[in-house]
Amino acid sequence: MAVKRFSDDSSIKNTYRLSRGAASAAIPNTPTIGVATTVNDSSATVAYTAAILGATASSFTATSTPGSLTGTGSSPITVSGLTASTSYTFTVRATNSNGSSSESSASNSITTLAPSGSFESIATVTVGSGGSSTITFSSIPSTYKHLQVRGISRSNRSASFANVANFQFNSDTTKANYWSYHALGADGSTVSAFSAAEQNTAGVWGALSLSNNGLANTFAVFVTDILDYQNTNKYKVTRCLQGLDDNGGGWGDIKIVSGLWKSTSAISSITIVDNTTNNFMQYSSFALYGIKG
Amino acid sequence: MAAGATYTPIATTTLGSSASSITFSSIPQTYTDLVLITEGIGASGGSYDVDMIVRLNSDTGSNYSFTYFYGNGSSTVSSRSSNSTNAIVGGVNDSGRSMSICHFNNYSNTNTYKTFIARINRPTIVAAFVNLWRSTSAISTIYLYPDSSKSFAAGFTFTLYGIAAA
Repeated sequence: MAVKRFSDDSSIKNTYRLSRGAASAAIPNTPTIGVATTVNDSSATVAYTAAILGATASSFTATSTPGSLTGTGSSPITVSGLTASTSYTFTVRATNSNGSSSESSASNSITTLAPSGSFESIATVTVGSGGSSTITFSSIPSTYKHLQVRGISRSNRSASFANVANFQFNSDTTKANYWSYHALGADGSTVSAFSAAEQNTAGVWGALSLSNNGLANTFAVFVTDILDYQNTNKYKVTRCLQGLDDNGGGWGDIKIVSGLWKSTSAISSITIVDNTTNNFMQYSSFALYGIKG
Repeated sequence: MAAGATYTPIATTTLGSSASSITFSSIPQTYTDLVLITEGIGASGGSYDVDMIVRLNSDTGSNYSFTYFYGNGSSTVSSRSSNSTNAIVGGVNDSGRSMSICHFNNYSNTNTYKTFIARINRPTIVAAFVNLWRSTSAISTIYLYPDSSKSFAAGFTFTLYGIAAA
């Protein structure tokens, strides 16, 4: 039996030519979607598997839903420019010089991370119905440049003037280590500049507490910065803007205060105490934040 | 200790033309504190230097009070007001720029009256104000306007941030 050689069979040649011709005009088959994975607050990766059969793809494109943001490359493809804290699915298509395949089926849903930032919440203490004599933030992360304590406060002291609250650092209760503060304050009639070498209770002035004699439901407000709290080469300086008003019941008080802790230790804990050792009342709230450098 | 990024812009308004007031409404209740930053100049109208007034939740009652002090380069002044129909969080001057930052701590706490504190720089003074709004309602609307029927000029910017505690 004679065996036809490939080169002798024109029908085979034609078929081959047709096949080659069709292939050269063909677009790639649709890739198979893989797993989508969150990378950070603005990007994700999308895996896929290229089709085995059909025309060769020259590139692969992943597209997000929502947003129609795209990324190209080989598996896994990175898609950037996503919005933080947002859920996405992705499809992938293959492309060559003849065009693009249809989109793959949708990937699993991912959610981008919360936005990274330079101002981060660390912890909050809100006083319950029984009141509290101290507020403590311990194990403060060392990963920030500055700290800020914000909140509202009210004490149970019966007095005819505002209380202040002191910040003690690293459980240091030696009064002499909180040597000085300087303040500029006013009560609605007089502006005063004053300072003191030592408080009733150890600590730097950091917050204001409204006396129980004040108007019900009324709290002082404060914002206190603790600067360069990790620096072991210098003493620690605080600054505070604080104030309260109770509609003329004898309580109007606003101050700008600076304080000093004479220690080169990095601050790892803060204890807030009423200067006259009274209790903070219910709903007083102290929130600690870290500011990156 | 948990940590999370915050100090989130809620809304920014930059005036395209002069306006007699601006309003932040539908303020989300998902934060712990609000911070309002303002900067700009007053619309021309005859050499004025006035307070930037605030009303909360459209409350026009006599439910506000405030205490303040300021320095003008040569002297200091402190005063206060009770049973006022508004509070003060900034300044507006038609010949120079003013800026302010105001902290509304625990603005959504329905067990407390709202105390808020502002640092204000105007061409003529540097000042600090502490204000009280005698309401336990959560703050959902902030309405701002210059005193004495003046206007903000085009370009005046108002930005409201939210700070969420852990």
